[in-house]
Amino acid sequence: MAELLSTQLLFAALVTGALYALTALGLNLVYGTMRLLNVAHGEFVMLGAYATYWAFALTGLPPLAALPVVAIATGLLGLAAYRGLFRGLLRNPTLATRIESNSLLLFFGLSIVLQNTVAALFTPTPRGYAYLDAIVTIGPLSMASDRLAALVIAAGVTLAIVLFLRFNLLGLAIKALIQSREATQIVGIDVGRVQATSFIAGFGLAGLAGGLVSMLGQISPFMGFPYTISAFVVIILGGLGNLTGGIVAALLLGVLETYGVALTSTNYRSILIYGVFILILLIRPQGLMGSRQAAR
Amino acid sequence: MIGARKITPMFYVAAALLLTLPPFLVGPYWLGVGLLLLSWIALAQSWVLLSGMTGYISLGHAMFYGLGGYLTVLTWQSWPLWISLPAAGALAAFVALVLGWPVLRVRGPYFVILTYGLAELVKFVVIDIEAKLGKFGRLLMGAPPLETLYWLMLALALIATLATWYVRRSRFGAGLRAIRENEEAAETLGVPVVRFKLFAFAASAFIPGIVGGLMALRSAYFEPFQAFSPVTSFTIVVIALIGGSDDAPGPILGALFLIVLQELLWTSAPELYLIILGLVLIGFVLFVPDGVHGRLLRGKRAT
Repeated sequence: MAELLSTQLLFAALVTGALYALTALGLNLVYGTMRLLNVAHGEFVMLGAYATYWAFALTGLPPLAALPVVAIATGLLGLAAYRGLFRGLLRNPTLATRIESNSLLLFFGLSIVLQNTVAALFTPTPRGYAYLDAIVTIGPLSMASDRLAALVIAAGVTLAIVLFLRFNLLGLAIKALIQSREATQIVGIDVGRVQATSFIAGFGLAGLAGGLVSMLGQISPFMGFPYTISAFVVIILGGLGNLTGGIVAALLLGVLETYGVALTSTNYRSILIYGVFILILLIRPQGLMGSRQAAR
Repeated sequence: MIGARKITPMFYVAAALLLTLPPFLVGPYWLGVGLLLLSWIALAQSWVLLSGMTGYISLGHAMFYGLGGYLTVLTWQSWPLWISLPAAGALAAFVALVLGWPVLRVRGPYFVILTYGLAELVKFVVIDIEAKLGKFGRLLMGAPPLETLYWLMLALALIATLATWYVRRSRFGAGLRAIRENEEAAETLGVPVVRFKLFAFAASAFIPGIVGGLMALRSAYFEPFQAFSPVTSFTIVVIALIGGSDDAPGPILGALFLIVLQELLWTSAPELYLIILGLVLIGFVLFVPDGVHGRLLRGKRAT
């Protein structure tokens, strides 16, 4: 039991939680603003991971330096997806009435195309690289420096985006769109521009998270789906469009996963996550802090 | 017009009779393809019963499919098939009834993700049970021949198609579609919303339970990762939406389309199959959003 009190475990929970917060924030921007069921979110995490890997393997560009480039590149891919696939879907009134099933199918199509294209180009074999292996020791806590870097960057970017959404005009417009599309249009906000921004930011954050994930472990073309699921767990748990709620939920999920696995065994990891997810949806579908309306 | 109306039922009866013949005519490869086609038709019809009519998009049909397969495998060689297969359907329907009451209160995207999550949870629980039992895949000895499975699947696909056709024209179906258009309004007008949804969910689970059992016998092998694979749920949705419409011809057209695509690509370019399937899917949502059957109906109306 003494193990459970160790700062080591707490650190691991924080790293997981911070990565979850970052991916979920990206999903919240796309799912929250447009109700698009983005099941391809994890595939953009995967793309970010591969981009970081190849930048390092081919040019020796350090992953930390590659991160901003990767985020911008996946963000532009998001813009291309918006222009090419989703703008028409959102504008066409007959398609928009069945936005859930249609967006689900579009993103599912996108997801299998991305997974299998990457698998065809780079083989499905998992890959990894060694970077920032040094151990940093602060007091009783020893941390691998790649994990420390991932924690600091994920937490920093998440906080920066939340602050941006709270204080910047465009950020406020995104938040307004999450709350009510009609009202946003009435007060004269250019909804198309806000949606495009949400796509860029959402997919950029997914790519950034992927870059961080690639520093911590092996990557493969099919690594994305668990990230999609954990991101959905987090945003529903935190309440749709509730960004602060999302951060709390991500940390909760990180703690739950890390301690749950430490108490039982890794076999129970999926059962634990899905079990909590289902219980929360059944008991409080509006999330831990969401308003009753969001579930409707 | 009157002549056409008389011909149509005869045409369907003749088509159904013709479909019993392939075991005498084609080799095991094409019979296997036929079995697969029929299984997708049955699955997609069952999905339309719930999701097509009520608009509650289920991504959880793999759960019913897998549970049916699991029960059939567990009782293999201790129960006769005429008991174990209906029991597989009954188990799936029972699970749907028990889960349905809390699950069907959740709507829209939440329902989609919830059903997906449930199917994954059940998958990992079964994986855990199998690991505890020390079983890593179960081999079935003496599974029935392909011909028998084909006829059973044909019967199932016919029942599923008739069920969709009948429900679509019944008071029950009208109630379900009213729920899709506006659940509150339907309830106000006296549609027993909760009972109808529960019943549709259970009916929709029964068929995948049996299909799962038959397909487990077909592969003569059971492995939970494969039996509960979410790809099954996704493929069902893809077929139903490619077919389009909430009526019986939709799933048949969708399943035919998918099988033809699969056959064309598996042999020539297996590594491209999934990429092209993804592109086809995207193309359908963007350019043929009402599916093949919806497009045909619109064409008929226009002339």
